[in-house]
Amino acid sequence: MSSNENKVSSTLLAGLWKENPVFRLLLGMCPVLAVTAACKPALTMGFCVIFVLVCSNIVVSLMRNLLKPHLRILMFTLTIATFVTIADLLLKAFQPEMSTALGPYVPLIIVNCIIIGRAEACASKNDLLISIVDAISMGTGFTITLCVLAAVRELLSTGKIFELTVLPTVEAGGWFVPWTAMMLPVGAFVTLGLGLAIVNVICKKKQA
Amino acid sequence: MLKIKYFVQQSWLLVVSAFMFGLLIAVTNAALIDRINANNANKVTDKLKSLIPDADEFSKQESITIKSQQQSNVDVEIYKAVSDGQCQGWAFKAFGAGFADKITLIVVVDKSFEKIVGFSVLASNETPGFGDRISNSFYRDQFAGAPTEKLNLVKVGDADEIDSDIVAISGATVSSQAVVDIINNTMLQLKIKMLEKGMIQDE
Amino acid sequence: METVTTLLLAFISIVIVNNLVLTKFLGICPYLGVSGRIDMAFGMGMAVTFVVTISGTLTWMIDNWILMPLGLEVTRYICFILVIAGAVQLVEMYLRKFFPMLYESFGIFLPLITTNCAILGLCLFINLWGIDSLVEAVVLSFGAGVGFTMAICIMAGIREKLKFVDVPDCFAGAPITLITAGILTLAFMGFAGMIK
Repeated sequence: MSSNENKVSSTLLAGLWKENPVFRLLLGMCPVLAVTAACKPALTMGFCVIFVLVCSNIVVSLMRNLLKPHLRILMFTLTIATFVTIADLLLKAFQPEMSTALGPYVPLIIVNCIIIGRAEACASKNDLLISIVDAISMGTGFTITLCVLAAVRELLSTGKIFELTVLPTVEAGGWFVPWTAMMLPVGAFVTLGLGLAIVNVICKKKQA
Repeated sequence: MLKIKYFVQQSWLLVVSAFMFGLLIAVTNAALIDRINANNANKVTDKLKSLIPDADEFSKQESITIKSQQQSNVDVEIYKAVSDGQCQGWAFKAFGAGFADKITLIVVVDKSFEKIVGFSVLASNETPGFGDRISNSFYRDQFAGAPTEKLNLVKVGDADEIDSDIVAISGATVSSQAVVDIINNTMLQLKIKMLEKGMIQDE
Repeated sequence: METVTTLLLAFISIVIVNNLVLTKFLGICPYLGVSGRIDMAFGMGMAVTFVVTISGTLTWMIDNWILMPLGLEVTRYICFILVIAGAVQLVEMYLRKFFPMLYESFGIFLPLITTNCAILGLCLFINLWGIDSLVEAVVLSFGAGVGFTMAICIMAGIREKLKFVDVPDCFAGAPITLITAGILTLAFMGFAGMIK
């Protein structure tokens, strides 16, 4: 019993730092770069990924003993595509603005390596509880990373976080000159590059 | 026979789950489709509402065919803004080439087609931080009250003065020019056609 | 004549101006993963061009001729991903049988392509842009592959030189690649607005 509890808590923490999907495993880079121009779409994207990840992990875990090895990937893809379609419909119905802002990046969750990677590495080998915990942990790790990157980019490019003014811009009579480049693709790449470098430094320090 | 058995053995899970997933999607879709359609319809109406808050109904009129910037025929969607049975103004969709991609605008003019009330960007793909400032108030406010004659883009001028001179956004001259061109092209042709049809009166 | 111009413009726009990798962030995983050596990068690029042309065309046909008339747009994503997975499988089988040499040289890249976001992304963008002619869809799909090949080859060329550079420890590997990619997108921004 206690070993099972240990496993749950270690799985829960793994996604947040030790196996953080973005910084440590370098998975699911497309949405990380594409939707982090502002916080709100990043958070919405994060929730979509958590939803799809949890649902697909549950389904895969339930049918893990019935899977035929060579049809495995096909089953995973079918499951993921179904839940992504549902997530997309939910977004369109309840968050139409975010749905237009995210555009094709919602359906692109289908080919996000995190989800198929977790289905393969965790859900198809573990029981329901561990699979759900793993999905939540990985999804949260992903969402937090997305939000951190988005916060940095939004702050530097518009002086706002979650559309609330933090640094008053020159246009509005303040002192901050918005750094427009952070909103462009180059901002995405450079912020992620610097983020990875910072994480590398921290990990080195910890080891030493 | 053996082959069929083998086939069923291998793929029953796939077939069953495909059926279940199909059912799941069908149910979700049936539950949400009304809301999604309503959202799509509201997208235009909400923008119109923010431009003419007085109007409480926007009735879609017959489309009018005009020449696009490339001289091909295009249909323009026209809405009539009504409140208490009175015409409050006209709105039309205008589109054309922007800096990066097509820009679609919705433009509102007053009931006699004399003055522009304002415009709103429905869809554009302009460079973030530069071209997409066409939806900022500095640029947009210059259109509110401008006459419905040929608009000119100027690089230096007084943005607060409302006339047919529109001051460009610095760093986004091409996008500013694109909006002016799109509005000019659609508005001037529409004005003539609508006068001909008797939808508006020349005063 | 006019259609030729339109198609040419569409091709140039998808290769340079709206390059999927550098402006839409699609296909980043192979872009960072397989861009270590220029011959590998070229192989990957060729395989992607091959698959994206086929699947872009097929998904356009399915979308416009089957899904839209039947009102089944809601199953679009599932159909798209199955078409792509199927196309990859077919291409793999066909190559193994008839062009074993080519198959050998594509090697591991072919199965990897199914989860390449550039391909699904392109199919979705063709739908989003409302492309209504088959020829244009084919040209865009092929152009997307060419654009991907170009981007990944440029990156591989830079990374081959990067190996001899003294990069700070914490930047070695992915971080410096990402920053290089960032500067590359800045260069490609210069092409924006070229197509009217």
